[in-house]
Amino acid sequence: MLDLLIIGAGLAGLTAALRAVEAGLRVKIIAKGMGSLYWATGAIDVLGYLGGEERAVASPWERLAELDAGHPYRTLGDTRVRGAIDWFQQHIEPSGLGYRSADAHNLLTPSPAGAWRPTYLAPAGQRAGAATDDRPMVIVGFQGVRDFFPHLITRNLSAQGQVVRAALLPWSVLSEQRDRNNAQLAECVDDVHTQQRLVDALKLVVKPGERIGLPAILGRHAHAQALAHLQQGLKTDVFEIPTLPPSAPGIRLATALRQALEQRGVRVEIGMEAIGFHAEDGVIQWVETETSARPLKHRAHAFLLATGGVLGGGFNSTPAGRFWEVIFDLPLTVPQDRRQWFRPLFLDARGQPAFHGGVAVNAALQPVDATGDAIYANLWAAGSLLAHADPILERSLEGVAIASGVAAAEAVKTKSTAAVATMER
Amino acid sequence: MAPISWHSVDLSLDECIKCNICTSHCPVSAVTDLFPGPKYVGPQAQRFREGDQAITPDHSVDYCSGCRVCNEVCPTGVKIAEMNARARADMVAKQGLPLRNRLLGRNELLGKAGSFAPALANFAMHNPFSRFMAEKVMGIARAAPLPTWSTSGTFGDWVKRTRGQRLRSAKKVVYYHGCATMYYEPFIGKAAVAVFEHNGYEVIVPEQNCCGLPLLSNGEFGAARNYHQGNVGKLTGFARAGLPIVGTSTSCTLTLKEEAPELLDMHDEAATTLKMATYDIFEWLYELHEAGEFRTDFRSMPMKLPYHAPCQQRAHRVGKPALALMALIPDLELPESHARCCGIAGTYGYKVEKYQIAMDVGAELFDFVEAQGSDVAYTACDSETCRWQLEHGVDLPSRHPIEILAAAYGLYDLARRDLTTG
Amino acid sequence: MKKLATDILVIGGGSTGAGVAWDAALRGFRVVLVEKRDLTHGTTGRYHGLLHSGGRYAVKDPQSAIECIEENRILRRTHTHCIEDTSGFFVVTPEDEGDFPDRFQAGCATVGIPCEEVPLKEALRREPLLNPRISRVFEVPDGSADSFLATHVTVQAARQAGAQICVYHEVVGLLTEGSDGARRVTGARVRDVVTGEELVVEAMLTINASGAWAGQIAALADIPVRVIPGKGVMVAVNHRLVNTVINRCKMPADGDILVPVHTVAVIGTTDERVADPEMLNIEPWEVALMLAEGDKLVPGLSQSRILRAWAGVRPLYQENYTGDSRDATRALALLDHQQRDGVAGFLTITGGKWTTFRLMAEKTMDKACAQLGVDRPCRTAETPVPGVEQGYYWVGHRLHEVETERLQGDLVCECELVTRSMLEQAAANNPTVTLDDLRRDVRLGMGPCQGGFCTFRAAGILQELRMRTEETAPSNRAARPEEPAWSVAHMQSPRHAMHQQPATLAAGRSPLDNPNLLLRDFLQERWRGVTPVLWGRQLKQERLDELIYLGIMNIDHLPPDDDASPLTEFWQFDTTPGAGSEETT
Ligand SMILES: Cc1cc2nc3c(=O)[nH]c(=O)nc-3n(C[C@H](O)[C@H](O)[C@H](O)COP(=O)(O)OP(=O)(O)OC[C@H]3O[C@@H](n4cnc5c(N)ncnc54)[C@H](O)[C@@H]3O)c2cc1C
Ligand code: SF4
Ligand code: SF4
Ligand code: SF4
Repeated sequence: MLDLLIIGAGLAGLTAALRAVEAGLRVKIIAKGMGSLYWATGAIDVLGYLGGEERAVASPWERLAELDAGHPYRTLGDTRVRGAIDWFQQHIEPSGLGYRSADAHNLLTPSPAGAWRPTYLAPAGQRAGAATDDRPMVIVGFQGVRDFFPHLITRNLSAQGQVVRAALLPWSVLSEQRDRNNAQLAECVDDVHTQQRLVDALKLVVKPGERIGLPAILGRHAHAQALAHLQQGLKTDVFEIPTLPPSAPGIRLATALRQALEQRGVRVEIGMEAIGFHAEDGVIQWVETETSARPLKHRAHAFLLATGGVLGGGFNSTPAGRFWEVIFDLPLTVPQDRRQWFRPLFLDARGQPAFHGGVAVNAALQPVDATGDAIYANLWAAGSLLAHADPILERSLEGVAIASGVAAAEAVKTKSTAAVATMER
Repeated sequence: MAPISWHSVDLSLDECIKCNICTSHCPVSAVTDLFPGPKYVGPQAQRFREGDQAITPDHSVDYCSGCRVCNEVCPTGVKIAEMNARARADMVAKQGLPLRNRLLGRNELLGKAGSFAPALANFAMHNPFSRFMAEKVMGIARAAPLPTWSTSGTFGDWVKRTRGQRLRSAKKVVYYHGCATMYYEPFIGKAAVAVFEHNGYEVIVPEQNCCGLPLLSNGEFGAARNYHQGNVGKLTGFARAGLPIVGTSTSCTLTLKEEAPELLDMHDEAATTLKMATYDIFEWLYELHEAGEFRTDFRSMPMKLPYHAPCQQRAHRVGKPALALMALIPDLELPESHARCCGIAGTYGYKVEKYQIAMDVGAELFDFVEAQGSDVAYTACDSETCRWQLEHGVDLPSRHPIEILAAAYGLYDLARRDLTTG
Repeated sequence: MKKLATDILVIGGGSTGAGVAWDAALRGFRVVLVEKRDLTHGTTGRYHGLLHSGGRYAVKDPQSAIECIEENRILRRTHTHCIEDTSGFFVVTPEDEGDFPDRFQAGCATVGIPCEEVPLKEALRREPLLNPRISRVFEVPDGSADSFLATHVTVQAARQAGAQICVYHEVVGLLTEGSDGARRVTGARVRDVVTGEELVVEAMLTINASGAWAGQIAALADIPVRVIPGKGVMVAVNHRLVNTVINRCKMPADGDILVPVHTVAVIGTTDERVADPEMLNIEPWEVALMLAEGDKLVPGLSQSRILRAWAGVRPLYQENYTGDSRDATRALALLDHQQRDGVAGFLTITGGKWTTFRLMAEKTMDKACAQLGVDRPCRTAETPVPGVEQGYYWVGHRLHEVETERLQGDLVCECELVTRSMLEQAAANNPTVTLDDLRRDVRLGMGPCQGGFCTFRAAGILQELRMRTEETAPSNRAARPEEPAWSVAHMQSPRHAMHQQPATLAAGRSPLDNPNLLLRDFLQERWRGVTPVLWGRQLKQERLDELIYLGIMNIDHLPPDDDASPLTEFWQFDTTPGAGSEETT
């Protein structure tokens, strides 16, 4: 039997699985579909903004204490959060994606709208876009690409003092096919011939001393090779700017994690939607998934819920104001009154109350009821569904996922070791 | 098609959040601009289709292969592949269907026809001249991996012939062989029977129809309905008696379970009883294993066997039980393919305008197999058309995992594709 | 100050004002139309989408019914491509008892509305989602109509006949001369809301076609006109549940019509008196009521994905009327202020329906001719507007064109199938100040993701278009057209846009210059439309949109600026205490 069944294949679920298998647990992941990594930037945000401040947080490690008391980072404490991020960085290293921080500080890289966005660990492909780098930039797009507009980026970056200019290359440099999204374009760039065409075209554009910003399409499977090919061919740094979903950098990260898991014998089953469960005496026996006919039972000693809140599909809500967790019907801290969910301004710096609530947990990341008692003896929770955080607003999406994923796996391990110890005694 | 209904397929379009994950994985739109991808032809185009329109607004949906990769990766549960199938059926209803598609849809008739004189049929079907003509006249791609009729009799013949030798037992399964086993690959059925019997089960082979999938995927819903109704009539009795209906063709079992009821809106008690009793063979064997009743007296099989779980199998959403059970065979190394699809997708790759697309789609799988090195003797895959495509794409024989199990029990010869007992 | 002299000044760029300008220009007058925002900013752009057959009024208000059926027939000829020939059902649900159905049939016969009872089985075959418990169904020639396109092409027709169109020009004062008893309106003071410049338009006759604002405009000349603003809420469902307009066969009430418009189905409406025509907030109970009523027509409607809710304000005018707004007459009101108030040179036309806008214009201009002492007959009924050769609109139209021309790679708004060239042509071809204008032009951001993907794309594309324009006509602004060409008749056709010359933006400063402003305004405008219906699937969508704009784009941290557009002003109305929704904690 499995030690741990993880529901959700987003960053939290994948990270938890990797940590759990490393700790010697037998693990499996089930998920309804591909997770949220496909939508995000592929960089690891830990904490970008605090309490509506205009300026980005310089270093997350100096500011965690200022978060709400119930925030997952506060629950875990600075040391464990930082430990988890470091652990992640080490364990993603073999992928060759090259995740680094700027000396334990946030670094600022250009967003596709031309804002400087703070992130903590940036992959090698994004780091040369850093604001601290004083080289001029040329932002290069492709005619007809629907998600990348160099002139927009340039306008806003130069308004903030960056020396930068825009250029457009013909679409045909990338592909003969006309209807390609970002992930598909990235696949085109897996091909060395495309890479060479890119080098040749960029040579005509780039001026000495300039670094080159491109949409994040530099390879889906062969990214490291594509990046190296471009940088060597052009003798300057090249960086990617992640844009609208689907995000190639996010897909690369998801793929790298899945491969790491597969190498360790962990199965990641996609296309399996959890639709029910069975518990006895407060202990979950199995979770059921939908199939082409009968529900399929997945038994395990422990279960980790990492379904990602509203966006991941972990929560649902009705016009009457009901807001609930869909598998175990866990109580949520979201106001159960629709009039309290939103503020009049989309960009209100305080965020929307509906997105701040979630699953309340104890120090071991076990979902708790109003009295603070664990609801099920063998259920843990990690990721965006945790209460008292709005990871999108805070720019802590990946950090919360990693820190809570790692911590939940460790908590499961501790508990199972304790159980074995009791049995042995 | 009827205007958008409360049909669960149509309604699932409401789930779409436009994230394009499906399109990023669709193997067909990856290789051709002729197919704009699942999101576009599915939940997006659906909002622009309407019942009584004189013109069908879109035709690109016909390039969907029905492989269901999109359904698998969609994070919100849009039933894209089925939506596409229904849109295609609407097109067919409005514009009629080329003879070729009618022919390809009628697997069972073809199978039967060829079986009267299989050698002749094979010659007629496979000589270069007739393939050339078939391409010109009917649009069946000249190079596509068409099946060959069994020249040693149909599976039905074998069942009749060996009736006396079959195991009698209180534990019984009903075997759904489907058309491919019946007419082209009776040895799959023999291997399945051997494995069932080895595990102590008596095998009932009842009269049965084609599952109707080829008709469904060519948009002939009316004819498919007749087929499924027939199967419901012939098989539901067993299901009511508590017997499992177990099949070796992953696409047939999927059709009985889900495709036919969903696409044709057949949700009555009888169809549902059949659905609930139907199993893919490895799904069923795995349950046996979990109950501790599956025999693991395997011989060692020191070889490397690249395994591709075909998309029709993945669409069952039961994991990869074949992989799990084959992993119990000593010394068998099982590299797992993560290729999305082999490309053939039933009869898709037979069509001349789609043959190259199918080959391009399959490249991912072919590359995976070739990357396994030269010491590979076989590949394994649960789906018949997929195996034919795989053999066509890489020059290696391909086997059904049930053949592998039967061989590991010592009951079956992988090279001859026959029971060791004859 | 700049001065303009004209024969007729029309105030208001809704359907009525556009109709009056068209009619007047065809009669050979010099015309200036001023609209304070984009065309259809008012009620016309916030209506239900129904081309009335008159059935709704057959019992209650036969005069209105006659006007509707006559205009229905005319508009099908003059504005064909703005109309979808959906036909309409009047259905009797178990709640609708009594003799109304018989009176309805009799009423239709009396006023001449073709009305046939449809066998239940046939009705359910055509509309399978219809409540199976309905007992009778009558079919009438209802249709659905795109008022954005209709008003734009009407204005294009007016312009071709010589009218001058000034959008984003707000009337801030009326010019009057003479003393009490012999006063006369001689034109208006108008402010360009983009540049802030003022100009004076002198006119022989000023026509107040400002709908629910008619009272406010008249007040500028100290004329008391009481318009009751009656707010109506509508809710759009993610896809067309029905392909026929569905009306309840009963006395008109709340939430009793379901209209298939473009890709959505719209259930409406309510009717609430409000203090100001810009008070467009939507209360939860209003949405709940629409969904509950919708379920009676199409059971399950409330469970489907809801895209958006909006409100429009009826300009209900009744001399000395104080009762409930639903009961105030919806017939048109043409006020001859010379007769009524002793003020010459000024007419007010308000009330009525979109369906009757042409007729309203005709009556207004007949009166105008009489006042001006000329005899020029109305020609609008026989004069099709540009673009009618496209035939009736049908829902698959865009998909069909995108497919046959293989334009999939050019889609910018994937939900509503807007191509890049459609967007560029619309931005260049008619005055465009905000992305919301482009929404009205080509349906940008009107689909399920509500601008999640296309807002960014549109801002980026317009920035590129602006740069391209600057490059091709750098310092020489004269090389650029002074005013957009106003060619809008094919604005909704992907195929047509693809065959046009590359777009060039007109000269002149515009908020288009600041892409950040475009982004913020449009995102806020969309937010305002979705918050009343954010739950379930639409909430998930909104969270993805948040991930995009905050997480990926970081647009809440773009370089700060103090720019504002007319749209900024408009949505800020929501957040001013007392006007906006309650602040939550
Ligand atoms: C909820 C609702 C649903 C409806 N549904 C339907 C329907 O389905 N079918 C139908 O036929 N009819 C319908 N109607 C009626 C129809 O929409 C209106 O009768 C019609 O649109 C009114 O057009 P209008 O031009 O008179 O007014 P408006 O469209 O309101 O135009 C007035 C214009 O004047 C402008 N303006 C205001 N002040 C100034 C100023 N100071 N300077 C310059 N310009 C100014 C405004 O910006 C506005 O654009 C509906 C109405 C409502 C409220
Ligand atoms: S993956 Fe699902 S939700 Fe995403 S675009 Fe495709 S159908 Fe829509
Ligand atoms: S079923 Fe396969 S081919 Fe068809 S849209 Fe989905 S992924 Fe693409
Ligand atoms: S035959 Fe094969 S992998 Fe191949 S299409 Fe079918 S199931 Fe997909």
